[in-house]
Amino acid sequence: MSTPLLAVHNLNRQFGGLMAVNDVSLRVQQGEILGLLGPNGAGKTTLFNLISGVTPVSAGRIEWRGVPITGMASHAVAGLGIARTFQNLRLFPTLSCLDNVMVGLHRHARQQRFAALFQTRPFHRKQAKLHQEALTLLELFGIADAAHRPAHALSYGDRRRLEMARALANRPELLLLDEPAAGMNPHEKDQLCELIRQIQAQFQLTVLIIEHHVPLMMQLCDRLVVLNFGKTIAEGSPEQIAKNPAVIEAYLGGAG
Amino acid sequence: MDTTLLQQMLLGALLGISVYLPLRCGQLSLATPGFYAIGGTVAALLSTQIPALGGDGVSYPISSVLLEMAVAALVTGILALGIGKVVLRLRGIYLAISTIALVEILRVVSLNLSFTGGAIGIFGIPQPFASPEGYVGFTSLLLAVVCWLCDRLERTRPGLAMAAIREDELAAASQGVNTANTKLLAFVLSALVAGVTGVIAAHFLNSWNARMGNFDASITTLAFVVFGGTRTWLGPVVGGLVLTALPELLRPVGDLRLIVYGLVILLGPVLFPQGVITPERLTLWSRRLRQRLRLEAPTP
Repeated sequence: MSTPLLAVHNLNRQFGGLMAVNDVSLRVQQGEILGLLGPNGAGKTTLFNLISGVTPVSAGRIEWRGVPITGMASHAVAGLGIARTFQNLRLFPTLSCLDNVMVGLHRHARQQRFAALFQTRPFHRKQAKLHQEALTLLELFGIADAAHRPAHALSYGDRRRLEMARALANRPELLLLDEPAAGMNPHEKDQLCELIRQIQAQFQLTVLIIEHHVPLMMQLCDRLVVLNFGKTIAEGSPEQIAKNPAVIEAYLGGAG
Repeated sequence: MDTTLLQQMLLGALLGISVYLPLRCGQLSLATPGFYAIGGTVAALLSTQIPALGGDGVSYPISSVLLEMAVAALVTGILALGIGKVVLRLRGIYLAISTIALVEILRVVSLNLSFTGGAIGIFGIPQPFASPEGYVGFTSLLLAVVCWLCDRLERTRPGLAMAAIREDELAAASQGVNTANTKLLAFVLSALVAGVTGVIAAHFLNSWNARMGNFDASITTLAFVVFGGTRTWLGPVVGGLVLTALPELLRPVGDLRLIVYGLVILLGPVLFPQGVITPERLTLWSRRLRQRLRLEAPTP
């Protein structure tokens, strides 16, 4: 098997006496959509925080294309091309939607100091190009009309879409989506599923997704990993996971 | 208007910008008066101790003032770089407390050193300008340059990154913003503006002592920004100009003036929680102005 895009080896994270992530290993292959399932408190979001450098790792290794990145600061992880969204939405509320996406473009927006100071023609050209890229992303998510409105003025669903647009502005190779369908109605969930497929193809993304809505995950993901109490309890194709006794027990409880 | 008051207003605007820069990244630093005091001390020492800077002896050359500014910028910049690396690890009120400590340490040190003149301070700082008008012209120019630089900063990548850190530091870092370096940049720029302002103030006031940078000044300069707004550089400029002028303009009402001043500072944040000047309000005003100009324009 080729080197995975992202590999996690025996990862641990303790919060006091609680093992939030306990010896989890997983491999994310380039181009796949890998789903993370598990009951509340299973350690899914903690795993995202460890990968993106938000929370320090207690033990274990994280590798990006075979190179160790354990302990890297979160801005440096973003610099590798790993973008994420947050379970509880972390937008920049008073900045306009366009500026939110422009912050996402941060690592591509570097300009020469002299050019920026004197607003030379190349500076304006590059700035216009970045604005256009941000607008195109907003259009893709159907929120271009709100480009100049502050992010806090958007509806909940649109804020979720804006956060995805901001993550895509990073031009990532790996996109980590933390419950992107939370708070959406069934119709919106179907649309979202379609959209994730579309952007995955268009931007040649690898996607790691956390979602509680099992039908959406079955439909969307190539592979699923199920966590419970910080441990991996099952891994496989959606069909295999649906029949797995350990998964059924985790969700519905044991037979006695 | 009294030119001396105008000069003080301009200095207030510059100090407002100095407090504003860290606040743009959400960092409540009260270190501005400390760096202002260092700038003033540098100017006072250089201009009174080094005869070569005095020129022909008739009036103090402006080139020497510019040289003092460069030295003050260097000293405050290096100090801010060192201190910023440590104190910017603290968040919120803890950063404010540690920067107050910095201001107090600098004040006590300056009070007890012999070369800063102790409690008496340094007297007879030479005058580059014969009249307050000269100072007003020079300080206006400096304020214009600082405002222009702030405007450039806000329209480019680091300025947007600062705003993002203010809104949500963790999310900004996840977008690839190096939050530690960006905050340090704002802190150092803040120190540079305060230091350079101190140089002019020292010449203008003719004497300089340890009381120039104290805790009172921390709070007064913070009020400039709270009143004016933390979202664009125009806020602290307006806040600095208005709040410096207010106590003087209110002299006719006698003892009531401190009460009125207090009310303005109190009501400002209550009525305008984001400050009087916000980007949205500026857009609205400029749109109205354009409409009015269009209405008044003669139709062909």
